[in-house]
Amino acid sequence: MKVLDRKKMILVNSALLILLVLSAAACTLLGPVRIDLSEALKNIFSSTADAEILLRARLPRVLLGIAIGGGMAVCGVVLQALLANPLACPQMLGVSGGASLGGILGLIFFPNWLLPLAGGRLGEISWIPLAAFLGALFSMVLVYRFSLFHGRLHPYHILLSGVILNSFIAAVIMFLNSIVDFYQAQGLLFWLMGSLSTRAYVTVGFIWFYILLGFLWLWSKGLALNLITLGEDAAMHLGVEPGALQRQIFIASSLMIGAMVSVSGMIGFVGLMVPHVMRLLIGSDHRLLLPASFLAGGIFLCWADTLARVLLAPAELPVGIVTAFFGGPFFLFLLYREGRRSLAL
Amino acid sequence: MIRRPRLFALYFRLIGLFFFIALPSSSDAASVGFSRRIVSLAPSLTETVFALGFGDRLVGVTNHCDYPAEAKNLPKVGDFMSPSLEVIAAQRPDLVIGVVGAIDPAKAREMERLGLNVALLSLSTVSEILSSFKRIAALLGDAEAGERLVRKLTLQFDKVTNRVAHTPRRSTLMVVGLRPLVAVGGKNFLDELITLAGGANIARNAPQPWLNLPDEYVVAKAPQIIIEAGMGSDTAAPARHWSDLKSIPAVKERRVYTYNSDKILRPGPRIGDGLEELARLIHPECFDRADSAKGTRCEGA
Repeated sequence: MKVLDRKKMILVNSALLILLVLSAAACTLLGPVRIDLSEALKNIFSSTADAEILLRARLPRVLLGIAIGGGMAVCGVVLQALLANPLACPQMLGVSGGASLGGILGLIFFPNWLLPLAGGRLGEISWIPLAAFLGALFSMVLVYRFSLFHGRLHPYHILLSGVILNSFIAAVIMFLNSIVDFYQAQGLLFWLMGSLSTRAYVTVGFIWFYILLGFLWLWSKGLALNLITLGEDAAMHLGVEPGALQRQIFIASSLMIGAMVSVSGMIGFVGLMVPHVMRLLIGSDHRLLLPASFLAGGIFLCWADTLARVLLAPAELPVGIVTAFFGGPFFLFLLYREGRRSLAL
Repeated sequence: MIRRPRLFALYFRLIGLFFFIALPSSSDAASVGFSRRIVSLAPSLTETVFALGFGDRLVGVTNHCDYPAEAKNLPKVGDFMSPSLEVIAAQRPDLVIGVVGAIDPAKAREMERLGLNVALLSLSTVSEILSSFKRIAALLGDAEAGERLVRKLTLQFDKVTNRVAHTPRRSTLMVVGLRPLVAVGGKNFLDELITLAGGANIARNAPQPWLNLPDEYVVAKAPQIIIEAGMGSDTAAPARHWSDLKSIPAVKERRVYTYNSDKILRPGPRIGDGLEELARLIHPECFDRADSAKGTRCEGA
């Protein structure tokens, strides 16, 4: 295994970090309505329209977008390595389906329940994400149980049971959608398409903490991930216990995906595409790839959400449409360029 | 293949002639006679048939048809979006009425191929809703009932618009769900009802009938009234949802309301009643006093 190129590491990640900060600032200033920045900053603590748009309507959602984009990309990286499958992505794991079902059940049976935090002093958050997270946990346990044989998680079974569970759940959701009333069905469909809309800093803070924790833990396993991509036998000879690593990574990424889908619904494509793009651009050393993918995923989703707010203004597009629309062609272009280059050698 | 439906129609017509039963084919419902066995594929159309006084001719309705109460006891033919062809055909209706856009066109064609007489009505504007009354009344052989119903609705509309005529329009946001925020856009009869009730829909420039609005747009447009028309049972939820955006006049002045009623959500004969209730939310001051004080209080508001 190649020694980690520290110079490249610092260069790539600091460039991406600067880009991320600039993107966050730009995306907070851009939107379907114009705001007067100086007016907004002057009145940060009072409730003027400009200040509320900047600090309540936009900033939390930009921050959430960065966390979700980064988290999805990181989960994509580790799942593609863990399952040795380039098509692996967070949406495939069954966990996202479970979260959707949990959320849908929440929306149908207690759409407006609110959970007071610290006796209401920290505000209130919706129950829906909690219902979704419970669904995610439940489906994670199911997939785990169906893929664990003799203490080892089998990628083949993880993939298949995840895909089957997802399509099963999709059928259940379609069933539920056809028995609720017409207007509720509209709402469910909008929710399923995913959105980063939030005004709750509590939720954003929680998700950031949660994803950062997961990311740091996965990053610490970067070297082991490099080894496991060489094959399980090779990894074992080099001192990695593949069984334990697989279990840990599966559980860590499932927990992250469950939390992300719970707050933002199914936002596709980030977790599939960003890891591949970053691999093509900077190589596949996970110690570098993981932080770079986190930052790139954050940048990508931050801009995708801004486009979602602006493109059809005043209507907001589902952000998943934007990620697929702009990410897909770019990904194909990179893939084609890479193929031509490597085959020309 | 193409001739089959015609043969069917001819067959039915011959039988009809023979037994003196009016069984019209799709082309000549009005000329041969009027419909006696009707299947309605939408709650709004069921209400219209009842309002025209012909509820006893309904032989099938959707699972969602729950008004008036008698409609609940009628045979069900399935869902609003996906009714069952077999069940419809088994009721041997001589008229099937549905809403354009809700019924899959392929399914409508299939029904015609089965020899059913299908009338699809467009209900996306108030004037289309009013003309649906006339069209259905004509299909039922009582054009006068249609005219009467249209007159009743027109009177109800006039009563409301006269009340709010001299008061400035209040900017209004109407949503049918908070997470995500699904709002009434332009090209939606609810937008017209808001206008008739003396409001001005803040999302009326949007070309979609329903759209997902970002929060910032609502803050920027600063609606004076916010109405949650969705089906949530918790009536305090909307006020709580908006409580952190105090720059919105509706929030500041506590004019965030829950009004979830089929009266306005269904494009049927009850929109007249619904309109008045809507206007009472948007301009309560115009309805505060008895008729003697008509108009005086809301002029300056």
